[in-house]
Amino acid sequence: MTRNEKIGRKETRREFLETTAAATLAGSLITNADAATEDRSAPQAQKTPKKRIAIITTLWAYLRHGQHIGDRFLVGYPWEGDWHEPQVEVVSAFVDQQPTAADRKSREEEYGFPQGDQSAERAREFGFSVYKTIAETLRCGGRKLAVDGVVLIGEHGDYPTNDLGQKLYPRAKFFSQIVDVFRSDGRAVPVFNDKHLSYSFEKAQAMVQASRELGFPMLAGSSLPVGWRMPEMEVPYGARIKEALAIAGSRSLDSAGLHALEALQCLVERRRGGESGIRRVQTLTGAKVWKALEDKSWSPELMSRALSRADLVEGITLKDARTQDLAAPGVLESIVPEPQAVLFEYRDGLRATLLMLGGAIGDFTAAVRLDRRNQVLSTKFHLPPNPNVVYSACLAHHIESMIINNKASYPIERTLLVSGLLEAAHVSRAQGGRRLKTPQLDVRYHAPRASLYCHT
Amino acid sequence: MGYGVGHLQFAPDTLTPDVAVKRLRIAAVVTEYRRYSHAQHIIDRYLFGYSWNGRHHVPDIELVSLYTDQRPDGELSRDRAKLFPRMKIYPTIAEALCRGGRRLDVDGVLLIGEHGNYPTNEKGQRLYPRYEFFQQIVDVFGNSGRSVPVFNDKHLSWNWDWAREMVETARELDFPLLAGSSLPVTRRIPQIDMPLGAGVQEALCVAVGGVDGYDIHALEAMQSMVERRQGGETGVEWIEAATGVDAVVKAMAAGSFEQGGWDPQLFRACLCRSHRLVPTREGFNHTLPTNRQIEALMRDPKNRNTPVLYRYQHSDGLKMTMLLIEGVVHDFTFAARLTDHPRPLSVQMFLPPREVCNFFNPLTHATEDLFHDGQAPYPIERTLLTTGLTAAGVESLFRKGQRLKTPHLDIHYQPTRRSTYWSN
Repeated sequence: MTRNEKIGRKETRREFLETTAAATLAGSLITNADAATEDRSAPQAQKTPKKRIAIITTLWAYLRHGQHIGDRFLVGYPWEGDWHEPQVEVVSAFVDQQPTAADRKSREEEYGFPQGDQSAERAREFGFSVYKTIAETLRCGGRKLAVDGVVLIGEHGDYPTNDLGQKLYPRAKFFSQIVDVFRSDGRAVPVFNDKHLSYSFEKAQAMVQASRELGFPMLAGSSLPVGWRMPEMEVPYGARIKEALAIAGSRSLDSAGLHALEALQCLVERRRGGESGIRRVQTLTGAKVWKALEDKSWSPELMSRALSRADLVEGITLKDARTQDLAAPGVLESIVPEPQAVLFEYRDGLRATLLMLGGAIGDFTAAVRLDRRNQVLSTKFHLPPNPNVVYSACLAHHIESMIINNKASYPIERTLLVSGLLEAAHVSRAQGGRRLKTPQLDVRYHAPRASLYCHT
Repeated sequence: MGYGVGHLQFAPDTLTPDVAVKRLRIAAVVTEYRRYSHAQHIIDRYLFGYSWNGRHHVPDIELVSLYTDQRPDGELSRDRAKLFPRMKIYPTIAEALCRGGRRLDVDGVLLIGEHGNYPTNEKGQRLYPRYEFFQQIVDVFGNSGRSVPVFNDKHLSWNWDWAREMVETARELDFPLLAGSSLPVTRRIPQIDMPLGAGVQEALCVAVGGVDGYDIHALEAMQSMVERRQGGETGVEWIEAATGVDAVVKAMAAGSFEQGGWDPQLFRACLCRSHRLVPTREGFNHTLPTNRQIEALMRDPKNRNTPVLYRYQHSDGLKMTMLLIEGVVHDFTFAARLTDHPRPLSVQMFLPPREVCNFFNPLTHATEDLFHDGQAPYPIERTLLTTGLTAAGVESLFRKGQRLKTPHLDIHYQPTRRSTYWSN
C-alpha cells in the first residue's frame, strides 16, 4: 500500500477544509459558502456518485495545459453564463516531469511567483493522490482499474525534438500504458488525449485501433474546434466546399499548426459526402511561399478574408496603432520573416491550405468557399487571453460530457487525420517542400450534424 | 438558452460590395489625433479602412477636412495628411466644414471630443468641449441654410442642459444625430441580443474604469440591451451613486436591489461571462471569487480607480446597477433578470485588445450608415439618457451618494427592431 493511499480521502478532505479556513487573507476555494455564488454553488445532495477520473500529464505547472485543463475539474469552470461544478472527481494523477530550473526561473520572472510543480499541493488540497506510475494512478494504488475516465495531457515539458522539428511528447507511450491496464483489468473507460494523438501517424493509428478494439470512447485534439468563434459561423451541414484556408499567427508548425489544422478540419468535415481522407501534402517555406502566393497556389481572396478576421494585427499597426489591409500587395512579404504554407488535397478533390504567418497576426482564422453562389464563410477561432484562457473551459465541458455519457461528442478520426496531416507536413518540410503522396491518410468519417463550438 | 437572435448558421460574407450613388465627403472635428485617441481610431478607419463583414473595407466616403483642437507631441494628424493629401487640415471648425470657403461644403461631420488636455471641474468631470464644438458646427449649418448628419463620440456633453440642447438643436435644424460608445455595437460573447419586447426586471453591468470615462461605456452597454424591453424606454426616476471599496462591499452583502445591492445571481452571471477575471489565488488561473476575495481584489493598492456603483430605477420599475470594479475584472459583462426565465440572460461586450482596437470597426460603420442613409442607425435618445445618467451619477457622488430624483430623465423612445451589434 502506498503512502498516498494510507492518507485516504477523508483525512485529506479535512486537511483541505482546515487550509480553507486558515486562508482568510489569501482567500481560498470558489466553493466557499460566502461566494457571490452561494445560492447556486452549494453542491446538490449527491444522489449519484461523481465519476472518478485520473489525470495523466507531463507537467502540472501554472498555465501549462496540465494545470489549466486539470484545474477545471477541481475548481469548476464557466459554462453558459454560470459556474459549473464538475460532475467528475479527480481521484488520482500521474505527473511525468517537474519544470526545469531554467523554465521555472524565466516564468517566475514573468508571473512573479514560484513556478514549480503544483500536483502535490493540488492533491493535498483537493484530496486526490499522485502516484509514481500510470498503472498505479489508474488503479488508485489498488489492484484493479479504479477510475471512470482518463484525461491524458501530454503537452509542455522537457522532451526531445526530432529532425523533423516535432517535439516527442510521450502521448502514445502513456496511452499504451493506460490501455495495458484496461486489458489486464478487463475493463476500459473513456480517454481524452489533449492535442494531436502523437507525432507519429503510425502510433496515432495504433491508439485509435486500441480504443476500437477495447470499445472505449476516445476524444482528442485542440480546443479551437470547440471554442468561441468571431463571428459565430458554421459550415452548413452537407455543403459543397470548393476551397478552404486557415491561418495561424505563429511560426510553430508543430504546436500552433496543429491548432489551425484542427480548426480547419472541423469546418470542412461537414462537407457533402463527409470526410474522405487526404491524398497529397506539401509544405513550402520562405521565398517559396511568396512565389506560391504570386502563382495563386491558394485563393488570394480566401487569404484576404481570413486575414481580415484578425484582431491581433502586427506589422505597421505596432508602430502607431493604424489599421491596415494585410492582404495588400507586398505587406505579408515585408512582415512575415519565416512563412510556411502547407498545401494539401483531400481524396475527394477538396484543396486546402494552412498559412503560418507569425509576424502578421496573432490569431487563428479560417475561410471556406462554398460551391453555392461562391459564398465565402470566414471567422476567427477566438482564444480568450491569459490567465483565464477560457478556451480550456470549452474543452473541459466536452471531456466531462464524454466521461459522464460514455460517448465522445465528436469523432476521434478528426484528430487522427490531423495528426497524420501534421506529421506529413513536417516530413515534406524536411524534404525541402516535396509534394508527398499520403495513401496512409485514408481516414474517412462523418462529422456530427450539431455545431459543437461554444455559442451559448 | 433560447435568447436573442441565436447564432448565425453562416456569416453572410458575400453581400454585394458597397455601392454609393455619390461619393460623400465629410469633416472630422477632433480634440487630438494621437496614438490610441478616439480620433485616431475612427479617422484611421476612414483613411486606411478596417475589417468589416470578413473583408478589408475602405469606406466609400472621403474624409476631406480635419480640425484638431490640440496637437500634443507625437500627434499624427500632420503625418496622416501627408499620406492622404486630400484630407486638408484647417485652423478652425468653420473653415473645416466650409473647406476654406464660405458655406458648408461637407456631407457629414464626425465630432470626436475624447482625449486631450482639458480642465476637470470640482465634480471630477473632464470638460471636453463637445458642446462648444457642436455649437460651432451648427453655427455653420445655420449660416449656410443647410444641415448634414453629425456623429458625436461618447456622451453628448458633461453638462446635461447642454446635451439636451444639442439634441433639440438637431431636431430644430432637422439633421440626424448619432452618438455614444462602441460598447453597444461591439461583438458579443455569445452573439445574443435582448429579445425585443422581453419583460426585464433587473439588470447589472460589471466593468472597469473610473467615473466620467468608463461609466458612460457601461451605461450605454446596459441601455442598448434594456431599451429593447417590453414597452420600450420610459426614462429614469432616480439614481444613487457610491464610490470606494466599503460602499461596494456593503452593497454586495445586501443581497438584493431593494436592500441596497443587487441580485447576486446577476453578479455571478457577469463574473462567469468575464474572460478576464483576476485570479484570487496564486497558481490558479481561473476561479470564481468569493465576496471576500472580491473585496481583497478591490483593495489592491495597484488599482488605478476606486470602485464605482450606480444604482438607478427606470420609470417602469426596471432596476439597474452599474459596477466598475477595477482589480476584479478587466472586461465588460452584462446580465439581466427576465420575466418567466429561471436563468439570467448574460453576455460579454467584447473589447478586442490593442493595438488595433477593432471595437471601433462597428462604431465607424455606424457613422458610415449615418452619412449614407441620412438617418441614425440607432436613436440619439439612448445617448441622451446615458449622458443624463452619467451627469446624475457624478452629481450623486458629489453629494455624498444622495439619491437624486431625475424627472428630467423622462426620456421615452423605441429601440430599433433590428439588432445593431457587430455580428458579421
